[in-house]
Amino acid sequence: MHFFKLLMFTLWVCAFGAQAGLPDYQAFPAKGERLLLWVASERGRADPELQAARKLAAQGVEVWSLDLVNAYFLPQLPSSMDEVPRQDLVDWLRAAQASGKQVAVFAVARAAAPVLQAAAQLDPAQRRRLCVLLMYPNLYTQAEALAEPDYLDVGALSGLRVRVLQPRRSAATPWLPGLLDHLALHGASVSRVILENLREGYWARETPTEFEVAESQRMDAMLLRELNAWGCT
Amino acid sequence: MKRLLTVVAISLFCSAAGQAAGFEPRAKTPAPALQAQDLNGVPRTLADYRGKVVLLNFWASWCPPCLREMPSLERLRVNMAGRPLAIVALDSAETPEDVNAYLARMKLGFPVLLDPDGSNTQRWKVFALPTSFLLDAEGRVRYVLTGPTEWDEGEALRVIESLLAERPVQPK
Repeated sequence: MHFFKLLMFTLWVCAFGAQAGLPDYQAFPAKGERLLLWVASERGRADPELQAARKLAAQGVEVWSLDLVNAYFLPQLPSSMDEVPRQDLVDWLRAAQASGKQVAVFAVARAAAPVLQAAAQLDPAQRRRLCVLLMYPNLYTQAEALAEPDYLDVGALSGLRVRVLQPRRSAATPWLPGLLDHLALHGASVSRVILENLREGYWARETPTEFEVAESQRMDAMLLRELNAWGCT
Repeated sequence: MKRLLTVVAISLFCSAAGQAAGFEPRAKTPAPALQAQDLNGVPRTLADYRGKVVLLNFWASWCPPCLREMPSLERLRVNMAGRPLAIVALDSAETPEDVNAYLARMKLGFPVLLDPDGSNTQRWKVFALPTSFLLDAEGRVRYVLTGPTEWDEGEALRVIESLLAERPVQPK
C-alpha cells in the first residue's frame, strides 16, 4: 500500500514537473482531429493571429497559440529566440502529440529557429508525424551585403515535413532556394509556397495595403488551404 | 551576432521607423557584375558609368523605407548635376509593371534598372532593402549602407564628396 502511494506521488510530481516546463500558451479548443501549434514571431502576437485561431477552432481545428517573447518575458528581438528553453518546446510538441490529434506547427519569422531545433530533438517516429509550416523563416546567422549567407544549425530533421510560406514582397524571396537547400541538407522534406502581393508580417503592418488587410482576415482559410493541399491531415 | 540579427530583421521587415546603421567602409572591394536592363529594355553594366562615382541603390516599390529615401536621392541628383556622380536605382525582383506604377507617382531623373529574377540581388548579396553601395571611379565598392538615409545631407553627402575628391584630375 505504501509502495502504491509512493508510486502515485512520484507520478504526480513527474506530471507536475512536465507541465511546469511547458510554455504558457493560449488554447482554442476544438473537437476536430487536427491541432495547430501557432508560434508567433519575435515581434509578438498580433490580434489578427488570435482572430484566425478563433476561426480555425470554429472550423474544428484546435489551436494552441504561443507568443514566445511574452511567455518568457523577452525583448521583441530576433535574438530573443535564442533564449527560449528548447526543452520546453520539445515538451510542448510532445504534449500536443499526446493529444492523439494530427499536429502541425505554424512558426513565424525567427520563431522558426527554436521550433526546428525542438523538432530535431523529437524521436524520429514523433518527427515523422509532425508537419511544420514556416512563414518567412529567418534562419540566418550571417547575412551581410557582399558576403555569402550563413544559416543556423537546426539539428537533424530527418523525416520532418517542412513547408515554407514566403510572401513575394520580401528581400528574402530571392534567397528562398538557399534556405530550402539548407533545410533539406538537415534532412527535412521541404516544399514552398509563394504568397503573391504580400509582405512579411502583412497582418501587423502599420500601413497595410487593402489586399494585405483582406488577407489578414483570411489567414485561417490560407492555413487550412495549405495544410490540405500539402496533405498534412 | 545579436546586433546582426536585429539589423537584418528590422531591414527585412522594412519597418517605417527603421534607420540606417551607418556607412560601412570596404577595403576597395572589386564590385560584382551588374547585368540589368533599364525601363526601355536597354542592357546596362557598370562599364556604362566608368570614371564616375556610382551610388547603386537596391530597392523595391513595396518597401516603405526605400520609398522614403527616394526624394533625397532625387535632390542629390539635382544638387550634383554636372559632377561625376551616377545614381543608379536597381529594383529588386519585381515586375516592370510594379516599378512603372510607382514611377508614375514619383518622377525620378536617374536611371532605374530592373532585376526581375533577382540575379543581381543575389550576385551583390543583398539581404535587406534598401541596401546601397558606393563605388569609386575605378568601380570598386568603397561603402555599403543597409537601410535608408537622407542622401543629400550629413554623413551620406560627406562620404560621396570624399569619393569625388579622390578622382584624379582629368587632363584638359
